[in-house]
Amino acid sequence: MKRFLLIIVSIAMIVSLTACGGSTNQGNSGSSDTENKVVINFFHRWPNEPRNTYFNEIISEFEELNPHVKINVDRVLNDPYKEKIRVLIASEDLPHIFTSWSDSFAENIVSSGKVKDVNYLFEDDKEWASNIMKSQLRAFTFDNKVYGVPFTIDGKAFFYNKDIFLEHGIEVPKTFEDFIGSLEKLKNEGYETPLIEGLSDAWAISHYMGTIFQRVLDPEILDKDYNPQTGEFTHPDYITALNAFKTLTDYMGDVATAIDHETARNMFANGEVPVMYMQFAEIKMVEDIGNVSLGFFDFPPFEEGKGNPTALTGAPEGFMLGKNAPKEAEEFLKFIVSKENAYKFTKVTGQLTAVEGAVTPSSASNHSLEAYDIILKASQTVPWFDNAVNISIADAFMRGGQSMAIGEMTAEDVLKRVQEEAATLRK
Amino acid sequence: MKKVTKTMEPYLFMLPCFLMLFIFIFLPLIQNFINSFYDFNAFSPTRTFVGFDNFRILLRDKVIVTALTNNIRYAIISVIFQVFVGLILAAILEDNIFRKVAPFFRVVYFMPVVISISVICLLFSFIYHPQIGLLNNFLKLIGLGSLAKPWLGLSSSAPYAVIAVSQWQSIGYIMILFIVAMQKIPKELYEAAEIDGASKLRQFFSVTIPQVREMIFVTTLITITGSMLVFNEPYILTKGGGPGTSSITMAVHMYQSGFFRDRMGYASALAIIIFAITAILAVIQLQLFKSGKED
Repeated sequence: MKRFLLIIVSIAMIVSLTACGGSTNQGNSGSSDTENKVVINFFHRWPNEPRNTYFNEIISEFEELNPHVKINVDRVLNDPYKEKIRVLIASEDLPHIFTSWSDSFAENIVSSGKVKDVNYLFEDDKEWASNIMKSQLRAFTFDNKVYGVPFTIDGKAFFYNKDIFLEHGIEVPKTFEDFIGSLEKLKNEGYETPLIEGLSDAWAISHYMGTIFQRVLDPEILDKDYNPQTGEFTHPDYITALNAFKTLTDYMGDVATAIDHETARNMFANGEVPVMYMQFAEIKMVEDIGNVSLGFFDFPPFEEGKGNPTALTGAPEGFMLGKNAPKEAEEFLKFIVSKENAYKFTKVTGQLTAVEGAVTPSSASNHSLEAYDIILKASQTVPWFDNAVNISIADAFMRGGQSMAIGEMTAEDVLKRVQEEAATLRK
Repeated sequence: MKKVTKTMEPYLFMLPCFLMLFIFIFLPLIQNFINSFYDFNAFSPTRTFVGFDNFRILLRDKVIVTALTNNIRYAIISVIFQVFVGLILAAILEDNIFRKVAPFFRVVYFMPVVISISVICLLFSFIYHPQIGLLNNFLKLIGLGSLAKPWLGLSSSAPYAVIAVSQWQSIGYIMILFIVAMQKIPKELYEAAEIDGASKLRQFFSVTIPQVREMIFVTTLITITGSMLVFNEPYILTKGGGPGTSSITMAVHMYQSGFFRDRMGYASALAIIIFAITAILAVIQLQLFKSGKED
């Protein structure tokens, strides 16, 4: 009898083991949980305020309107988001609705074949679709199919403190060389770090590099090099561009590699630093912290530069639907990207959206409206560098940028490492 | 029939354990070996066979040198601070003079062990903060302002700043292991030594250390193998081993190759290197255990 019991117990253990394995699958299909609610897994990249609260409110609003829906939300900031979404895609556990950057980032996700082609959303609901800027769809279109719904639009420019510039008689620089002159002058006037960036955030470096490359290099060379099949990164202008980046980091001081972008932004918003390269999405955050009289200028062109001097770096971000997303996830997506909620989003966060009629004088500050105008009028938009090239190339430039800032590598060293990465990719 | 069940019985007991080991340890290990011969990423539905290509890249990869150097730095510093200082701390706390206060300090030193490493890293990022950080402000307060620096922003200080966090966290754990070992030492030995006129220091070297020898072996190997697997500290504190790659470790390099640079195959090859190193350390560990028992 005892022996019999032991066998039963062993079998029970084995069964419980397999049950453990099985339960995750049940979680996946997810829909038939308690009270037969439809569960939507929502993953976004804004755990910081005010966006986190904004999305939490949108979620509870949607759940109130649709009592049969339960939305599970998960949020992770920028760089970790990029890693986590990769893990989720690899693990077959893709959320039903999630945020995505445009271009190569989106293309990578699409290449997994686990994302829904959302063309039908635009065709089925013409009224909703008519509010979304057609110009922003291109960044999510691959093989003539749209895989993402653009939500925010953005651009990058130097934010400067008008009061400090006025006080020291500094003009908005017309060229990069002018800009260095202004920084030098500010340094002599007692600003230890006339320019700042949180260089410990790799993406912040990529934004600099992307714009500098665009300004300095011939667009044809960039087209060839940004394509992983043909990229070589051998043109000597890259050295010029990397050295320009190094020159800028010299004005950021020792602290730059030890702080993150948010700390750097706070320094600017508190009036400690006169200039910083920032996204228009950050206008409200700067406005909320301090009383700096904010001005913008585009990244100044290089005297010898071969790229379009008025192109704007910046790209939309949007939402994607996982292959197994239920009908309710589509509804939720349309709910977020509706005119009313986009309006609310701009009002609460100050961020600009790709929804027509959402950015108005009543929802956005004067600074934001100015930025909106710059984005809409840009002669050309250039995607974020880490979305424009293969990630290993971007990584070599970003880490190299950090090493250059602390004087551990030269522009030549960095480019050599990039060339090695490019050679590996060409194979 | 009865006989069959009788002989089967022990195996049935072992079956759940074996299944667990196979599914969660051996299967992934084998899969990892196979993966290292392929080129693929998290997005790609297909994988391409590339033979030994990933291992060839391994030979050219300069980051591995930095990463291994950092792992070795970890190992050396951890042995000095955790094993030796931990041993001394344990001896002090076990001494009769500190009988009264020992329980309090034991808790104090052990506290960091039970705090999540992510929380600790976040706390330390405030301590190391170049502007509002406790460390720099403390240095300025005591007149050593010239030593203040952006600890995590310089390649010369970042690896050590990261290593210091692990020391702070783990020293209590090693100390407790030593305390347990010391409590097992028969009191007669100390009494005899005292009658013979041995000083406290003499007693420590001639009684305590020989008696906890085996524990010294164990803790040394725990810290060294642990050093090869360090991940959380550089991943959180210096955002993946920055600035540049100066504070990167093997585990971080592997993770980033796989999940940031989209080279799962190469990451698998790196995993094999880490596996080989830790396996060799484990063999040494087994050998040393044997020599410890012979005494």
